[in-house]
Amino acid sequence: MTLMRRPVRSELMKLTTTRMPWAFLVVLLVMGGINAASVAFGTDFDGSKAFVSTADDQQSLIAFAGNATMIAGLFGAIAAAREYAHLTVIPTFLADPGRRRVVVAQLVAIAVGGGVLGALGAAITTVAVAASLPTTEYGFLIPAVDVIQVVAASAFCGAVGAVLGAGIGIVVRNVGGAVTGAVLVLIVAPPMLVQLISSTASWVPASLALDLSGVGSEVAAPAAVFGLLLWALVPAAVGAFTVRHRDVA
Amino acid sequence: MPDHGLVVDHVTKRYGARTVVDDLSFSVAPGRVTGFLGPNGSGKSTTMKILLGLAAADGGTTLVGDRAYVDLDDPSAIVGAALETNAFHPGRSGRDHLRILACAAGVAPRRIDESLVVAGLADAADRRAGTYSLGMRQRLGLAAALLCDPPVLVLDEPGNGLDPQGVRELRDLLRDRAAHGGTVFVSSHLLGEAEHLVDDVVVIDHGRLVTSGPLAELRHETALVRSPDSNRLADALRRAGASVDLDDPDPDRDRDSLLVRGLPLDAVGHVAFEHGVEISELSTRSGSLEELFMSWTSQGSRDGASAPREKEDA
Repeated sequence: MTLMRRPVRSELMKLTTTRMPWAFLVVLLVMGGINAASVAFGTDFDGSKAFVSTADDQQSLIAFAGNATMIAGLFGAIAAAREYAHLTVIPTFLADPGRRRVVVAQLVAIAVGGGVLGALGAAITTVAVAASLPTTEYGFLIPAVDVIQVVAASAFCGAVGAVLGAGIGIVVRNVGGAVTGAVLVLIVAPPMLVQLISSTASWVPASLALDLSGVGSEVAAPAAVFGLLLWALVPAAVGAFTVRHRDVA
Repeated sequence: MPDHGLVVDHVTKRYGARTVVDDLSFSVAPGRVTGFLGPNGSGKSTTMKILLGLAAADGGTTLVGDRAYVDLDDPSAIVGAALETNAFHPGRSGRDHLRILACAAGVAPRRIDESLVVAGLADAADRRAGTYSLGMRQRLGLAAALLCDPPVLVLDEPGNGLDPQGVRELRDLLRDRAAHGGTVFVSSHLLGEAEHLVDDVVVIDHGRLVTSGPLAELRHETALVRSPDSNRLADALRRAGASVDLDDPDPDRDRDSLLVRGLPLDAVGHVAFEHGVEISELSTRSGSLEELFMSWTSQGSRDGASAPREKEDA
């Protein structure tokens, strides 16, 4: 662990010394605002506010884990690819030629960043929904333990999404290409996969994220964790392999 | 102090069918500033990347001291390198860039300020690096290379974009490092500047070694010989193993002066005597580094690759 402390701290510092985290925070705030507005101004087909009438309905509304996977996926893709785009990977590998160690440190740091984004996203959404509920006839009905589950699931999915995006970023090495790759894997590919093989519907990231948030019940929580880890670790492993075997710049 | 010389031993690097570095061998001695010279695309940067473990060679080995760079226990403490002018995030301040590197290398934070001062970037340290001029970027790279106060410096074109004062400061800094036993390996295409900086040169062209050794000795390796029968003398000298060029290739000028490399002065005289060729002048030619460089690399270009010549004491 001592060997990893320096590179992980260094990678965390990379994430916090640019404006990128703030840009993502703005995205989360905007999404929270959209949720608040939908509660305040949205209605069901019959003009009622039935969509926030029960604890389950409200929990569905604040379940941010699916979004966390996608947003953190983009975060991870950008964070990893920009290392190559800006050539900052060169001084990094000069300081620590153990490339596998560097990649693991990068993935850990990006996972932490994605986890924080996921937790923040869920927290902001929860606060936004809770703050806008007084405009309806319903109060905030979700038990604290379920709120904690939603935030924890979102943090986990954020971490997983970030690692998935980072894996793509490490392989692609180009910010635009990495973002495109993350969008393809997280948004475009899953529905296509489900169309091809309908039995995979329960195993796409969005569905697994809902299960973890306590909103869906397609897959048990341990299996959902395993499934999400698999989605993240495959591109991460490919990234780690390519880093070891490719020249830098 | 342990010997931190650099060794490049029969290194070859190919990108597809293109051979970028071709069986290249040379060494860089501690206590001296060694210039790594060659035309654009001659393989200098690739060789440096191979030396520092950033690119894998298809053949051969490179050593820092007695180990490959990637096998060094604490590489940052031994080698400071600046290979790319833009190896930083433009939205990050120069100081933050160094903080990250210091953290990765396990260096005390006070070294950040010290390096910034030495590199002449202290005043701009808190500005975003994306706003830096080319010279300031070079200084940031130099500050990063000096962060751990390493005994070995490997710098790729460090003088690019520096103002005259910056060039002079860089020269003084590198000469001082070498004077204190450090190993300084610097690539450059600014030959006028390199001439004032380097003790030794390694010249490559098309990925192959053209020549290497102490610059002072290489300067005196070229003989100027003037003869009314220069064509016959040139043929005889070439047969004796020398490389021969016209001193002035301008066809409108006198063509009786030859530049001869690869044979000592007395051997040139002996060849002329053996072939009964009259000579009117025989002297060493101490051209500028630029003239030497042009003759080395143009020779390489004409021959495809000239036979490498290396001074063993380099």
